[in-house]
Amino acid sequence: MIGTNHRIEFDPEKCVGCQMCYKACFVDVIRWDEAARRPIFKYVEDCEHCFCCMSVCRRDAIRVIPDHESEHLLQHFDRYR
Amino acid sequence: MEIKKNVLSCDVLIAGGGVGGLTCAIELKEQNPALDVMIIEKQFAGFGGKANKGGGVLQYFQLDKITPLDFLRFHVNEIGCFLGDQNVMLKYVEMNHGMLDKLSSWGVSVPKNPDGSYNVMPTGPFTAMIRVELDITLRMRQRCEKLGVRILDKTALSGFYVKDGRIRGASAYSILDDGNFYTISAKKAVLATGSQNYRFGSMWGSGRGDGIAIAYRAGAEMRNAEFGNFSQLVRYKSHHEVVFGENNMYNAKGEFITKNFTDHRQTDIPSTAIREWYVQMMAGNGPVHLEFGPPPGGAAPEKKDPPDLSKMSYGDKFRTLNWMDSQSVDTDFEVVPSLIGEQSCIRTDGNMRTTVEGLYAIGDCSYCGSGAPGAVPAPPGRNRGSGILNAVFAGIVAADDLAAAEYRDPEPIAETEINESLDYTYAPLFRDEGYDPKEVIRLVQEAMAPSEYSVYMREDRMDEAMKFVDKAAAMVDDLKASDMHGVLSCHEAEYILLSAQMHYFASRMRKESRGWFLREDYPETDNKNWLKWIIVKNVNGQMTAETEDVPIESYPVKLPE
Repeated sequence: MIGTNHRIEFDPEKCVGCQMCYKACFVDVIRWDEAARRPIFKYVEDCEHCFCCMSVCRRDAIRVIPDHESEHLLQHFDRYR
Repeated sequence: MEIKKNVLSCDVLIAGGGVGGLTCAIELKEQNPALDVMIIEKQFAGFGGKANKGGGVLQYFQLDKITPLDFLRFHVNEIGCFLGDQNVMLKYVEMNHGMLDKLSSWGVSVPKNPDGSYNVMPTGPFTAMIRVELDITLRMRQRCEKLGVRILDKTALSGFYVKDGRIRGASAYSILDDGNFYTISAKKAVLATGSQNYRFGSMWGSGRGDGIAIAYRAGAEMRNAEFGNFSQLVRYKSHHEVVFGENNMYNAKGEFITKNFTDHRQTDIPSTAIREWYVQMMAGNGPVHLEFGPPPGGAAPEKKDPPDLSKMSYGDKFRTLNWMDSQSVDTDFEVVPSLIGEQSCIRTDGNMRTTVEGLYAIGDCSYCGSGAPGAVPAPPGRNRGSGILNAVFAGIVAADDLAAAEYRDPEPIAETEINESLDYTYAPLFRDEGYDPKEVIRLVQEAMAPSEYSVYMREDRMDEAMKFVDKAAAMVDDLKASDMHGVLSCHEAEYILLSAQMHYFASRMRKESRGWFLREDYPETDNKNWLKWIIVKNVNGQMTAETEDVPIESYPVKLPE
């Protein structure tokens, strides 16, 4: 997906620095801040709302909020009417 | 950012740390612990690929009830439509139980009954499935590490060094902004880089065709490039897939339209369901929706109470979050097709060797190229549960061949060659101005996503689609990035464009309809002229194609009289 508008909420207080979200993100949205031992949600515009980061987080520190309208199926609906 | 040149070497370089690459590495090290095996993975090995994002099922053949030939006959007639390499498919079925045993021995949790037999869910007369935890690839990574496989994460393959048609090594780069550029001298190389999903859908459509494009550039032949146009029904708002939704389709008049394209329950969605959606919409009978109830529609999905996510395994939580997301925005069951793609066209022989000496291709990047599935985009190729197991199969087959191979020191890679590869890799970073790679990707998506362009094809509609492709092609040499994340996007845009070019190049040639491949202007299957594979290759920078007869007379399942 490209050009999406999904949001990611992160609670650094809950995070224990396990790096699982960083490793699980297969689209490189999440980078790792070694000094702070916390994820950086650096390329949120490339988020595909797969929920992998949420699924691996055992502390419930991440919430992905999809904006489905920003995903386009590119079917020619106007032609189909 | 300062670029740091690193020189590495290994016996076998595996690009891709999903289930295929990990299988190959484990099997190789178990057979020959002395081999120096290295995996590079552009994200994280163990989280890469699709095995940890999909349905979490392994195909199972009840070989006490059916023979491998029974399944082959079913597959050739119903799915592959005589275009498959039947020897490869037969070998896959025969290895089924052995593969499950291997996965178990590698630490993967494959559920068993108290008596030690596998816990199997029957899904049809010829097929069954076993659920598998989505941590499958993490377990396999652990096994790799224990066996001494070297793993370079966040490292993307950039190209191969090939001389006289033989592999000598590869170039790769860190996608982090640390400037690491790698020249890896390798005696053999294995591509396990996934299929092409056009960066379009969510979930399991994560392939960007890296290995396909890099193999093509290195001179490897491609086969079945026109079978990379898989499309699935998704819910209108959330875009979540409705697996098996094709059995329950109704138009706005309340007519049951599934009956227009099939009289029996399919193993998975056929392209005729996508065609039916398009035909209904064009006739003004849309939108199309699903209804659940008594047969033929089948039972409605269960209504569930809000689940307690905190107690769930990774896989259950992943699936539940996606289901809850879908339920939160889609209040009805309107469905539309969404492109998934799955081009997997690197040509291999039965041992997963490509046409470049010393280069193998396994798993999703060569599923159709291996010939195994026939006339259907794969994985899983309307053959549920075969995606993960095909990657395991191909990884084992390649490793068996590699374990018995002769290893010679490759010719050294010259500094000029290294610099040439480095210049290509980082070019988008050093360009003063250029296009955003997402502009190119969007143009290709415009060409591939509409169902009437890429699935239900016709010459004039393909011409329309190619206008987008040609526009993208005019931009792709001038892409600009500001960091390494952007550099990766630029290279992915190249790969995505090449896949679309190959799709339409081969699709225009195939003047018939067969299996998944549908043309409105050539609706009939033409066994007389088109029981052939289309082989696409790069000849001096030009895309060329030729055909090759499917040797049907040498296969167990013949054409009907």
